[in-house]
Amino acid sequence: MATMTLERPLSTRTRSRGAIDTQAPSLDSRLMTDTTDELAERRALFQEQALPFMDQLYGAAMRMTKNPADAADLVQETFVKAFAAFGQFEQGTNLKAWLYRILTNTFINVYRKKQRDPYQGALDDLEDWQLGSAESATSTSSRSAEAEAIDRMPASAVKDALQSIPEDFRLAVYFADVEGFSYQEIADIMKTPVGTVMSRLHRGRRLLRELLADYARERGMTAENAGPRAATTRSTR
Amino acid sequence: MTDCGCDKAKAELEEFLHNELDAQQCQDIRDHMANCDDCSAEHLVGLTLTTKVKEACQEKAPDELKQLIVGAIDRLDARA
Repeated sequence: MATMTLERPLSTRTRSRGAIDTQAPSLDSRLMTDTTDELAERRALFQEQALPFMDQLYGAAMRMTKNPADAADLVQETFVKAFAAFGQFEQGTNLKAWLYRILTNTFINVYRKKQRDPYQGALDDLEDWQLGSAESATSTSSRSAEAEAIDRMPASAVKDALQSIPEDFRLAVYFADVEGFSYQEIADIMKTPVGTVMSRLHRGRRLLRELLADYARERGMTAENAGPRAATTRSTR
Repeated sequence: MTDCGCDKAKAELEEFLHNELDAQQCQDIRDHMANCDDCSAEHLVGLTLTTKVKEACQEKAPDELKQLIVGAIDRLDARA
């Protein structure tokens, strides 16, 4: 899939609120007052610019809702809201990030209530050691073996692992690693400070790594090489 | 040569991976990795993880959904 060239503020560690904040559109009175020509033009532009992101948004929605039916509903709702607000979208700014903001807002407001994860809020406050901070592989050779094992991992195992980590960690990992959003963009999408994004990413990736290492170990994928590692008992929570 | 040392490299590898460091910081880490197998291996694990996650998460929206959405947008349009 085409990756957009994103402008990323390199060392901006503060949140710029306001400028790019997108609220769910109020189903716009403007829709009613615009002329037919303006609407037709807007629709053509929307179809040309926004609809190509459907596969990507659906992928994100699958990781959010964990099932195809809810994912389809979420994506549909996102596009309907986005179209209604498209008149307010500033051409030339990052449309993909704008769409992801609407997707994430919608998910949090509608779907997360249904499947509320009661632990998430508390997770950000935990110290690393409380999350079971097993220092990962100790030697260079076992790290190489780990990379090799991850490389051979079936996609289903990777998805299962991703699915089983806490939601906010999962989303941070998805936005950074799958979509290639900058930390600042993720902060805007998740409405959280950049520091929190970094922490969620770090923890999410570490949990993933541990889950995949467990998977590999259970199937003997690292048996020959990962001597020191295999002996280490690691807690995965 | 501006090798930044293991501690700094390890602390910043994730940001390096996600392209969040400035040019000088990136160079420091590259210089360090050129001489440190351990940090290179750690970086390789991170890179592999990113690649695998990205590959595993590619999805295609079902055709019915595409039609549904195009239809929904047409209807919104028709209200005006």
